[in-house]
Amino acid sequence: MTGYLLNRLLISGATFLVIITAVFFMIRAAPGGPFDGDRRLPPEVEANLLAAYDLDQPPGRQYLNYLGMLARGDLGPSFKQKDFTVNELIASGLPVSLGVGLTALLLAVLGGVGIGVQAGLSPGSFSDAALMGAANLGLALPSIVLAPLAVLVFAVWLGWLPAGGVGSPAHFILPPLALALPFVTAIARLTRGSVAETLLEPHVMTAHAKGLPHRRIVFRHILPIALLPVLSFLGPAAAALLTGSVVIEQVFELPGIGRYFVQAALNRDYTLVMGVVVVYAAFILMFNLLVDLCYARLDPRIRVAD
Amino acid sequence: MKTFALQHLLLLLLLNGLPAHARESDGDLILGNPGEPQTLDPHRYNLRLEETILTDLFLGLTAMDPEGRIIPGAAESWTVSEDGLTWTFRLRENLKWSDGEPLTAEDFVFSFRRLLDPATAASLAYFMYPIANARAVNAGELPPAALGVSAPDPRTLALELAEPYPHLPERLLYPTGFAVPGHVIDAHGDDWVKAEHWVSNGAYRLEAWRPQAYVALEANPHFHEPVAIPRVRYLPLANEQNAYNRYRAGEVHAIGGFPSSELDRVRRTMPEHLRISPLLSMIYLVFNTTRAPFDDVRVREALTLMVQPDILTEKIQRTGNYAARSFVPFLVEGYDAPVPAFHDQPLPDRMSRAKALLGEAGYGPDNPLEVTLRYFDEGDGKRSNLAIASFWRQIGVTTRLHHTELKVHFTDLRQGDFQVAQAGWIGENNPGHYLELLISDAGNVNYGRYRNQAYDTLMQAAGKQKELAERYRLMREAEALAMGEYPVVPLWSVAVKRLVSPDLKGWHENHRDVHAVRYLSW
Amino acid sequence: MPFFRTALTGTLLARLCSVWILLTLVGAGFGAAWSGWDPEAIDWEALEAAPDAAHWFGTDLIGRDLFARVMLGARVSLTAALIATTVSILIGVPYGAFAGLRGGRTDQLMMRIVDVLYAVPFILVVILLMVVFGREPLLFFLALGAIYWLDIARIVRGQTLVIREQAYIEAARTLGAGRLRILLRHVVPNVAGPALVYATLTIPAVILAESFISFLGLGIQEPDTSWGVLIADGTRTMESAPWTLFFPALFLGLTVWCFNMLGDRLRDQYDRQTRGYTRNIASESAARG
Repeated sequence: MTGYLLNRLLISGATFLVIITAVFFMIRAAPGGPFDGDRRLPPEVEANLLAAYDLDQPPGRQYLNYLGMLARGDLGPSFKQKDFTVNELIASGLPVSLGVGLTALLLAVLGGVGIGVQAGLSPGSFSDAALMGAANLGLALPSIVLAPLAVLVFAVWLGWLPAGGVGSPAHFILPPLALALPFVTAIARLTRGSVAETLLEPHVMTAHAKGLPHRRIVFRHILPIALLPVLSFLGPAAAALLTGSVVIEQVFELPGIGRYFVQAALNRDYTLVMGVVVVYAAFILMFNLLVDLCYARLDPRIRVAD
Repeated sequence: MKTFALQHLLLLLLLNGLPAHARESDGDLILGNPGEPQTLDPHRYNLRLEETILTDLFLGLTAMDPEGRIIPGAAESWTVSEDGLTWTFRLRENLKWSDGEPLTAEDFVFSFRRLLDPATAASLAYFMYPIANARAVNAGELPPAALGVSAPDPRTLALELAEPYPHLPERLLYPTGFAVPGHVIDAHGDDWVKAEHWVSNGAYRLEAWRPQAYVALEANPHFHEPVAIPRVRYLPLANEQNAYNRYRAGEVHAIGGFPSSELDRVRRTMPEHLRISPLLSMIYLVFNTTRAPFDDVRVREALTLMVQPDILTEKIQRTGNYAARSFVPFLVEGYDAPVPAFHDQPLPDRMSRAKALLGEAGYGPDNPLEVTLRYFDEGDGKRSNLAIASFWRQIGVTTRLHHTELKVHFTDLRQGDFQVAQAGWIGENNPGHYLELLISDAGNVNYGRYRNQAYDTLMQAAGKQKELAERYRLMREAEALAMGEYPVVPLWSVAVKRLVSPDLKGWHENHRDVHAVRYLSW
Repeated sequence: MPFFRTALTGTLLARLCSVWILLTLVGAGFGAAWSGWDPEAIDWEALEAAPDAAHWFGTDLIGRDLFARVMLGARVSLTAALIATTVSILIGVPYGAFAGLRGGRTDQLMMRIVDVLYAVPFILVVILLMVVFGREPLLFFLALGAIYWLDIARIVRGQTLVIREQAYIEAARTLGAGRLRILLRHVVPNVAGPALVYATLTIPAVILAESFISFLGLGIQEPDTSWGVLIADGTRTMESAPWTLFFPALFLGLTVWCFNMLGDRLRDQYDRQTRGYTRNIASESAARG
């Protein structure tokens, strides 16, 4: 198993480096520099600006400098948020993004597994059809429609919840719900299929034949196996959740790093864009490693193979 | 990293439960600002939304009253020499920074030098180019000490100008004319703008700035007069729909814009919240006069004849914008802008003349003219440009619309990389501020590279006059001359539409759309 | 074509879904013409008008016919799906087949790379591409395709592992056929079926991804449009003109839903034939929208 993990760690590290390199050179290929206002700067002023941001160096040199800074955990100054460093911005935005993202993930897992197990234990029954029918509706309600509607109904019309921003726990109700919904559907579908299939496994049949109590069979014999695919889905789900969170942070005006990313991309704030990509990539890769680790511990096949 | 993040999360969720719901807060004012400031250093600022906050944080030599008239600020009075070249400002007695340190004329000297020092890299430093030697200092040709600013005594500041500039008190309203605390900058360098080091001389000082969430200000105890609102929080509300939602959900006391399609509903259901005020501004189309087909004045004239600004403002936008008939906005006081004759001709006449002109220039049914119209503004601009395309279609011109975001748009305009494009200028109460855009050595803000020797000469002559009447007479002549060559199509002056809580007192409309919090109360 | 077989013989739901998809396809092709309105023309008499006999879906804020625009949006969204899915097949099939055929360490390494790539925030990279190289629709669609080949590669590799052991491959090998020849003549034709089935599940994912990015204002732009752009505009006028949100949302939601239902159905049929190891991966791909 150590070999397996080492392998993964190595590939993750290489991926991380490739992402950083690709993004670094991509942004520098962009037309329109970071300091284009609507009036030309005197050459002296422009030279000062370029030097302050290390842009007067050749790109290769800039790249090495950036890697060096990164190794020290320094993401540099922000091009556009002149009063902050990228580290400060991310320290301020990351908790918001993490809070919303993890809450949504938790909701999605609880909701999705709950629905999926209930439906999967009696495939073909009425409750199966009703639950999965409802869950499938989630596929037809993408969050770009759902989130603005939720704001209109719950904040503007009913006045129950805030329309956006942060400040109180109430601000953290609608965004995770809107973010989680598509994943509830996904996880429910996945769980249902997996549970229904596990029901037909010989060891479950045997357990039934032995007359073991239903609860015990479900929790001891079915779920540990049926939930493995859900676990392995969480890795990719984290990446997808992030895409969703960019939209959600935009609609709810949450000061998270997904919102920074969109603003920074539009403003050509090179360093902030890089910073966000670095942090996101690092988080997702770490999360995936974690999932792999859990998977490796739980899945008998990997344990045996090692 | 991880524990760090978790700590923040807990802080955020538990301890930091700030009362962001406006209706729950008492006395605190929550204002929507159309975006996130990029800096609060008045010398490095660039955006109007920064100007809004900076005007609360600092007090310049001059200031504005709630109706937009110029009144004394940090200076209680000022005088101009006979030749119009020396301005002497007398500072108020006992001026203090928000940390209690005395504020003297030397602080202003330090600040003007810092603004124009190329090391500061202030992109709006040119606002102060009327000061003698400013241009040379900014270009690094002279040391900052050579700037025409001096402090004969702690309460007297003298500004030497290169040429007469009667609009100086107005120019000093911008943050580029504000004083920054030299003693704090010495101690903390560029970090002086952090809330923990913050010192300023306005009615408010910076309390906290949480990126993309809010900028919080609190009353400055050392300001020379008391204020009614103890704390202000500016929220970055870039999206008009979101701003509108949050206003209606009671989370904000005033917002700077809402979706124009909602104007009718707002008029119907919440008229007491609606505030519409004209803004000193000009939105216009600019033709690239160096490139076919718009190097041909006949083509420019033909297309100009077809544009009906009043249809744009009244039918398409319906948002209260003011259709323009001249390049200098009608809001500029004391200036009687020349209106081209075609504005009063019926459309059929204009259309047949336009077709004839295009024909002369070699375009017609068998050689249709195709142009690309560039724009950046997704709101009123987008709809209007679609309408302009349909105006031009009436004379057989095919228009492709090309949208790019603001940054790219203006970069390309400055480089002359366009055929015809939307442009905008938010200016001063000074016709020269608009007409300068058409001078041939205006640099690349003269996007269309319009060149006319006679125009330049008239504008130069106007710049040497110290009497407004004479300046304006020459400028009027210049504008009439330029408009006869159709380098630009004036479209409209913006009407700012705000929603303001009726509970808030002291809010007045003005042509600059500046609403200092120190004049407000509950 | 499995699609048409299902359209004719599937469950009622699958048949209804097929009909909806076919209608949307036809609408994307000819819809704008039926309405009699140019999607860019402004009807000065009907600015922000409710649906009626002249404008079936009403008009938008500046009087453009919404039916024509939703159909134009369908064309763009479905083109995005088509191009991106094709790209994902073109990358995924050779990649998966090669890995499966080679087996051993090469296979392991190639599949590890796929696993790790699942974790890359590609959407951010697509957004960056748009910002850096301008909003070129074709580039946008190609970039989307470059995200979705991972699922296809996995499926195809699994299939190839099975096929590799079949007698006719052995026979071909004994007859001295080269690796490339085996790949092209024997493996690719045999994995084409499953690859197409899973491509059906890629389509809704691409449509959603496109609409998300366009919703943020970073994808397709005026005067072109897509469902994501229309929804973004619709949310701005949803109170004064609810139809501007309703119709684009209806088309996006229903189309994505139908592709998912149909994809499920096709996969089930296919699984029944092959008794499927691939099932879980497929559910994942359906879920990743």
